[in-house]
This record gives sequence, C-alpha cells and structure tokens, in this order.
Amino acid sequence: MAENLSVKHLLGIKHLTLDDIQLIFKTADHFKEVINRPIKKIPSLRDITIVNLFFENSTRTRISFELAERRLSADIINFSASQSSVSKGETLIDTVKNILAMKVDMVVMRHPNPGAAVFLSKHINASIVNAGDGAHEHPTQALLDAYTIREKYGDVKGKKIAIIGDVLHSRVALSNIFCLNKLGAEVTVCGPATLIPQYIQELGVKVNHNLKETLNWCDVAMLLRIQLERQGVNFIPSLREYAMTFGVNLDTLNKIERPITIMHPGPINRGVELSSDAADSKHSLILTQVENGVAIRMAIIYLLAGNITISNFS
Amino acid sequence: MNMLLKSAKIIDSSSPFNQKVKDILIKDGQIVTIADKIKEEKDIAVFTRENLHVSIGWCDMHTNLRDPGFEHKENIESGILAAIAGGYTAIACSPNTLPVIHSKSEVEYVINKAKNRAVGIFPIGAITKNLEGKDLTEMHDMLQAGAIAFSDGKKTIKNTGMIKIAMQYAKGINTLLIIHPEDKDLAPSGMVHEGVHSTRSGLSGSPSLAEEIMVSKNIELAAHYGVKIHFLAVSTSKSVELIRAAKAKGIQITAGVNAYNLLLDDSNIETFDSNYKVNPPLRTKSDIEALINGLKDGTIDVINSDHSPEDEESKIVEFDQARFGMIGLETAFAVINTSLNSKLSTEQIIEKIAINPRKILGIPSPTIAEKSKANLTLFDPSFKWTFGLADIKSKSKNTPFIGTDFIGKALGVINS
Repeated sequence: MAENLSVKHLLGIKHLTLDDIQLIFKTADHFKEVINRPIKKIPSLRDITIVNLFFENSTRTRISFELAERRLSADIINFSASQSSVSKGETLIDTVKNILAMKVDMVVMRHPNPGAAVFLSKHINASIVNAGDGAHEHPTQALLDAYTIREKYGDVKGKKIAIIGDVLHSRVALSNIFCLNKLGAEVTVCGPATLIPQYIQELGVKVNHNLKETLNWCDVAMLLRIQLERQGVNFIPSLREYAMTFGVNLDTLNKIERPITIMHPGPINRGVELSSDAADSKHSLILTQVENGVAIRMAIIYLLAGNITISNFS
Repeated sequence: MNMLLKSAKIIDSSSPFNQKVKDILIKDGQIVTIADKIKEEKDIAVFTRENLHVSIGWCDMHTNLRDPGFEHKENIESGILAAIAGGYTAIACSPNTLPVIHSKSEVEYVINKAKNRAVGIFPIGAITKNLEGKDLTEMHDMLQAGAIAFSDGKKTIKNTGMIKIAMQYAKGINTLLIIHPEDKDLAPSGMVHEGVHSTRSGLSGSPSLAEEIMVSKNIELAAHYGVKIHFLAVSTSKSVELIRAAKAKGIQITAGVNAYNLLLDDSNIETFDSNYKVNPPLRTKSDIEALINGLKDGTIDVINSDHSPEDEESKIVEFDQARFGMIGLETAFAVINTSLNSKLSTEQIIEKIAINPRKILGIPSPTIAEKSKANLTLFDPSFKWTFGLADIKSKSKNTPFIGTDFIGKALGVINS
C-alpha cells in the first residue's frame, strides 16, 4: 500500500483513489487506538499551523476537526464568519491569503457554496481540507461513515447501504455515494421524490421511495437531517408528514426481518427522521461515528501534513 | 481606405463571384475592381495571404456592451476593438446597461458614441422599463431614434399578459421582439444544466425544460397574435425540435444559438471555473449535436457571440457568487468554425454570422460587387492557432479559451 496520498488536498471523495481511502483507514486505525489511551496526544505535527475557516455554522464538525488537530499537537486558529459578512467585504481568496501570509500550513474550510474548496485550491498553495462545501462534498464525513461500516462489518464491499432523506441538498449523501461506490458497496437512496435529484441514478445508485422496502433491503440505513424549508421553498408539506412516511423509529426497526444498523451524520431532529428510541437503540452507531470522526480527521491531517513536510524540504 | 486583396476566395452566396478566387481592389472605401489579376499600384497597400477568404462583414446579434454604467468592464470603444478583432463590422447591443436602454436618450447615447466607426452599433431597446417585466417602454420613440429591435436581454417576461401586450404593440409598430426563453420558476437558483454533472458537482441545475417550456409558450403566443419573434439563444435539442415544427407550420419565428453552446458541454462545470457559468447553460453532447443539425437544416438562423464582459471581481470568485457570461467577440468565429467546420460549409457559417442576422434585424446587407461600398471580413477557415491573452481586445478577460487550439481565424475587417 502507498504511504502517501495521491492528492495534496482533500477536496472531495471524487478526487481520491481506492488506495488513498485504504491508507486513510489504516492510519485512522492507529489514531483510534491513540485517542483511547490515557494520554491521547501525540507530538506529530508540532510545527504545523492549521486554520479552521468556517463560513457556515457548524458545531460538531468544527469541534471534531479541532480535537483532531489538538491531538496531533498542531497549532490552530479558528475563524468563523457568516457568508453575508464576508460577501460584503473581503473575497474568499483575500481572506485566505491574509491568513496564509501569517505562515499557516493548512486550511480546513466549511463553505456554503459548492466547489469553494476546489476554487480555493487553484489560487493558494496551502493544503486544503474540505469540511463541507454547499451541496457538493463533505469528504471527511463520508470517510468516517465508511470507516464505521468497515469497523462493524469488517468490510464495506458488498454491503447494502441506504441513504434516506434530503439527498437533493446533501453533501453528505453525495460524498457517501462516491465513497461507498469506490469501496464496492451497493447504494440505494430513499426519500420523498422532491428531495431526490432527478439524475442521481447516473451516479450508480438505485432509487426507492418506499421506506419499508428500503429498510428491508439494506444492512445500514444512513439517515439525513431534514429541514422543512430550503431557499424559501418547502419541498415537503410538513415535518409531521415526513415523520409519518420516512421517519424511522424502534417499532419500524423491530418489524424488519433482519437486524440493520442506523447511522446519522448529526445533528438529529429527534422525532422527525429518527425517533429517540431508535437513535438510542442497539441498532444505532451514531456515537461511534462521532468517535471515529476524530480518528479519521487525525489521519487525513496527518497524511496531508506529511506531504507538506516533504515538499518543504525537497 | 485603399487596399488590394490578392487571391481572395469570395464567400457570398448573393454574389456572382461566390466561391471564386479573385483580386479585389478597394479605393476610398469602395470596391473598384474584382478580377482574376489586378496590377499593384503605387500607394495602395497589398494584402496577400495563403488561403485568404473574404465575405461581407459579420454581424453579431447579441453583444453586451457595458456602456453606459459598467465602463470598467467594457465601453463602446473597447467593444469596437473586440468586434474588429473578431471580424465583425456590425453588432447589436443588449439593453442591459445602467441605465437600461429603455428610452430615446439611451438609444441616442449609444448611437452618437458609435458614429462613423469601422463597426456599426445597433442598440436593442428594452421591452419593459428597467427590464422589470411590468411596464412597456416607449418603443415607438426608441425605434424612431434608431433602436433596431426590442428585448429584455436575458430577463424573461414572466407574466403572459405582459408578453401579449408587448407582442401586440411590437406588431403595431412593425418591429422585432427578441425573447430569451427561460422559466426561472422551475429553477430560481439554477446556474448550470441540470443533469449528471450538476448532480455530481452540487451546483444548482436548471432543467432543459425551463427553456423548452418558454420556447413552446412564446411560439404559441407568436402564432396566435401573428407577430414575428426571434429567440435570442436556444440550447436544447427539444427547443430545436419545437422551433423546427413551428417553422414547418409557417409560424414567423427565428432563432439563435450562442457560439459556446456549440463547442462546450456541461462536463466543464465540474472544474468549478466560473468562466463556464453562462446563460443558457452549457448542455449535453447530444444537445450540441441537435443544435448543429438545427443549424444545418435552417431551424436555427443565427449564431451569436453573446459577448459578456465581466471584471475579475465578478468572475474570480466562488461559482455561486460569479456573474454569468464569457467574452465572445474575439473567439466567436474560431469557436463556431472549430465546432462546425466539418459539418457546415463555410458559406453556411457565413450565412449564420453575417447574412441572417442582418436579414432578421432589417439591416441592409452589404454586397461584394464592383462599385459597392467595402464592408468586408477577411478570414482563414483552416488556419490553426492557439488563443492567448494577447488576442483579447476587450477590457475584460473572462474566457475559458485561453490556451485553446482553434481552427479558423478572423484576420481583419474593411469598413469605412
């Protein structure tokens, strides 16, 4: 197996090879062991400075990245700005170049526009980790999801994964589709027809609008967060109707012939896409996902930082 | 202007010299002699070039000059230079300036600024005030002042009642309405073609249907009110079908296509390069094929540059934040010819970029004949070259074609 990633940035799963993904998993195995030690910190990245640049609200992704960075002993700075305040003044390139002028090595960025990380990578030299860009990709989430499936089942290959909910507006869904496809899983997306992109089948997934059928088919059900309104449009009549037609609860899970696993990228709307009794049941891997998130992000930062060091000295 | 063109292949279907290689002598801006061999004279510049072709000057039906209002992106002066570089001697400019070309004063401003230049500038007036789709402009007054046709640029009038009134009024004053067919309600934030590439990139897609539904609606309206309309630019195979069927029924419509929609498909958007953010959006390969077939059989009459200058602040930003459009005057012929040279004859291409635009707009067509005024474009349809920054004469540089290899190049214009 390769010892370095084939990429300088983590912009999306699209850009990774299967070898890259396996290397990230293998590295995360190591870090998962580290973060379960009494002393959770290692001095690997003492000379690396990372900026967490969040142009969109995020709590758990930002905390997860921050912890991963701290566990690796990197120096970190946090920058949060709502898109509106930035759009009034500085451009994205200016903001980032200003920060990089202070000798920052790596940028972790969450941004509301698809392709923002790809765009930035063409204009700056530092390594970029895409922490979510609009409805495009959220690669670290997909990697931690696949990693969690691998941990539970030994392998992702051949597993049947259902992605249920608002696929249309979801970067998590898109990155997961790319990642699970690469790892050889079968994917079905499920949700109200208004929230399933018309051309999604061309990405190599099946579409099913029936929750019961989908749950009976899958090994793992990944539920997505539902928002009633998107850009001023209601894509579903009500959260109540959504919960009735696509909401998962313990009763639904108990009626399935074989045991399945429930995952959710968070934050959960309890009682909408997922009921509390299901979220907290033995079926749920939600908190394992969160734990693995730190290990996966440590692995990615560590591997990308390896590239930085190499390029600095060559 | 005095000049002797040596061994020029004449492309002009209306001329007896069509497809013949001749020498052309121009004195004081007039074609004096067309003959097999004309002797060189003192004080007359000689232009010789292998594979030299000459046609009547080209005419663009869809140029966005940013003057008045956005002169840092393009002014009339720089727009003229870009047009000359692209081989155009006439351009019709959109009303989407600031102020909008929606009254006599703006029409006169453009006409006065562009007087006596090598490129004739024909302002298109707005159909509705401020392009808001609500109140009719003083079309008659603008027409008297020199407006060549009326359009709301790339704003589509939503209200069907308003379209009806505009059509009836335009018919009454015998002028042409140019329609941009796009139903924004189907995709309010759509910025690329809705398809597999919009799905893969997470960019907000606009379905082909958004265009087709408006093509269909406007065809029905035009047929019902018996008015001539021109579709600014269509981009989908279904639009071509709809127009073909309407023309077969004798409905008086004409249609254009933008040069970039003939060469670039929607896979380019996955680069997130905002130079590919255009309207109509880049569509699929099969749409391109249908557009080319539409050009071949005469369903599509005109090819536009859709020259849309934008400054860096509007383009070197996130794709979502970027403005639509690319510059096009300098590259239009190269793009068109590279896409079409094996599918349409040079004569057919010239028809789409020189003859039909004037016919549709009602601009008298120049001819290549002795004793007529010289209004010519010199070009080489098989010249291979690479487009570079230095080829841009526009004030704006927003084009994805830097470094692109093209077949065919405009060499210059003669028009005085």
